[in-house]
Amino acid sequence: MSVATPAVARPAPAERERRRRWVPRPSRVVLNLVLLLVAIFWLVPSIGLLIVSLRPESEFTHSGWWTALTAPSQLTLNNYQVLFSQGLKPGGLLDSLITSAAITIPTTILVTVISSLAAYSLVFGRWRGRTAVYLLIVALLVVPLQMALIPVASLYKFFGSISGYNPFGTVPGVVIFHVAFGLPFGIFMMRNFYAGIPMDLLEAGRIDGAGEWKLFRRVVLPLGVPAAASLAIFQFIWVWNDLLVALVFLGGSPHAPLTVFLFDQVRELASNYWVISTGAIISIVVPLIVFFSFQRYFVRGVLAGAVK
Amino acid sequence: MARVVLKDLTKRYQGGTLAVDKLNLDIADGEFICLVGPSGCGKTTALRMIAGLEDISGGEVRIGDRVVNHLSPRDRDIAMVFQSYALYPHMSVYDNMAFGLQLRKAPKQDIDKAVHEAARILDLERFLKRKPGQLSGGQRQRVALGRAIVREPAAFLMDEPLSNLDAKLRVQTRAEIARLHHRLTATMIYVTHDQVEAMTMGDRIAVMSEGVLQQVGTPRELYESPQNRFVAGFIGSPSMNFITHQVSLDGGSPRLASEGSEVLLDPKQTDLLRQRQLKTVEVGVRPEHLEIGERNGSGLRAAAKVDVIEFLGNDQLIHAMASGSDMVALVRVDDSLSVGSNVILTAPANRIHLFDPETGEALAVA
Repeated sequence: MSVATPAVARPAPAERERRRRWVPRPSRVVLNLVLLLVAIFWLVPSIGLLIVSLRPESEFTHSGWWTALTAPSQLTLNNYQVLFSQGLKPGGLLDSLITSAAITIPTTILVTVISSLAAYSLVFGRWRGRTAVYLLIVALLVVPLQMALIPVASLYKFFGSISGYNPFGTVPGVVIFHVAFGLPFGIFMMRNFYAGIPMDLLEAGRIDGAGEWKLFRRVVLPLGVPAAASLAIFQFIWVWNDLLVALVFLGGSPHAPLTVFLFDQVRELASNYWVISTGAIISIVVPLIVFFSFQRYFVRGVLAGAVK
Repeated sequence: MARVVLKDLTKRYQGGTLAVDKLNLDIADGEFICLVGPSGCGKTTALRMIAGLEDISGGEVRIGDRVVNHLSPRDRDIAMVFQSYALYPHMSVYDNMAFGLQLRKAPKQDIDKAVHEAARILDLERFLKRKPGQLSGGQRQRVALGRAIVREPAAFLMDEPLSNLDAKLRVQTRAEIARLHHRLTATMIYVTHDQVEAMTMGDRIAVMSEGVLQQVGTPRELYESPQNRFVAGFIGSPSMNFITHQVSLDGGSPRLASEGSEVLLDPKQTDLLRQRQLKTVEVGVRPEHLEIGERNGSGLRAAAKVDVIEFLGNDQLIHAMASGSDMVALVRVDDSLSVGSNVILTAPANRIHLFDPETGEALAVA
């Protein structure tokens, strides 16, 4: 049997060299300048925050943070050291960091897993009323979270009165709330992605001998990784940055998440700016790490070569 | 390897559309059968019912000695090659082929052996580590075949596996599949809309139209004695010419007449028409059986005016207007012909097919 070797269109070395060389064009220069300005404009508050967190508290009252740009010697890691050296005392930064993680990580995992499973059933399941259920879920997207705070709190109380466990004021209570409100979007997003997976692949899998679980695990889930990764990142950032739900459900608790911890530092007189800036930077760094570590899953064209 | 029997196989969609209507087909063990018909004729639906991907509304499918109506696809012991190939894009070529065996929990060495054997047959050994996205269309096609081969199924189902390939590769792969069939001596059910594919590959061909099986037979049977006008027109390329003629059996020589053409009947045809007592009859004649110039004896004679000449190399296709309809003749290249010239087209009586104009049924098997 003969093999048809594909003619791969690869530019000659000279051609590639020419392409690599950056040729300045007036339109491009203007564009880059504009982009640079926008980027600086966006980054200034964060840079300011970072510098504030790196300056001693005493400096804060004397001069603006931009003075550090000309006198970098005043920068110190002292603020970070102080906050971390407090250790795991309840109400401290480290404790709230752990509480944030204890809320965010389970929420992210639960939302991603449940959404993937639900989306599989909505797209590839063979039951009546799939579209109706999907539309209902999409309709839930418009329910504002704020509206549900009191009903959910009383629901928790009711649950507590019959089971003896009231999730109100506990980390699981917050997690359940976030999962419930994360699912409509998660299912919406995963369903739309799965809907793009060719049905032929599933049928090929069924003929190859895969049951529904194997199809999900071995065919659909690996193909859905880019969507699941995006969903996980969104979900992580939303929950990590949430103040409202945490404040309502964990407000008085000794173990509050980072957002509540930072909120507590804002006082009418003499806010702890060094704590706020340092804590805020720490709270920015975590989602950034998550973002960059998941970013590699955004592989374009995962479905290339499936059909045709 | 197994015999596949379809008995009154029916598919009725919600809303009452009848996609497949009482399909009966007995496919012998090791046979290569082609289901052929225009798009929407129900051939793919029939195949999908055999595979278990589509619910069966009526009748039964038997693979080997089991009725498989209510078995899931994985329990039917079949393999299918999809039109789109449907390769798992995230798996290597090796894993694509091994997947079915892995799911069946076959021992690792057995899987390895089967995959390498299939890769060797299909000339894919160099690509085992690649992902489908890194392969050309023809290579993907072969991976899809390989995935079917490694499983050693009771029957291979193929749904237009060649339609995504370019013309040259299609001819080549056609031969490869035929060779594969000889090598594996497996039962193969092959769906295509391309009658040339069906003619060249199938041991037998089943022609379908609008959900109904029209005729089953060897390529030669279908070509030489189509049972109805649909099969006659569908099989053969270019397709058969049809002209409606008036029947006049009285008088000296029984003949059929139309404006500009006539048919002198031979005794057998005369008898047939006498029995049927038809007033008009549809005369079918294949382009390759038409000749230019007068001839003696019984047969068709039509006066026509050349419309278009298509040069094919050795032969040429003449499109000519005869008795108000377009006739196509496949003849040797002849420089004396030009557009606009008047010609006489003839065909011997034994090459003429007669069809009932009402039912489209062939009057006799010639």
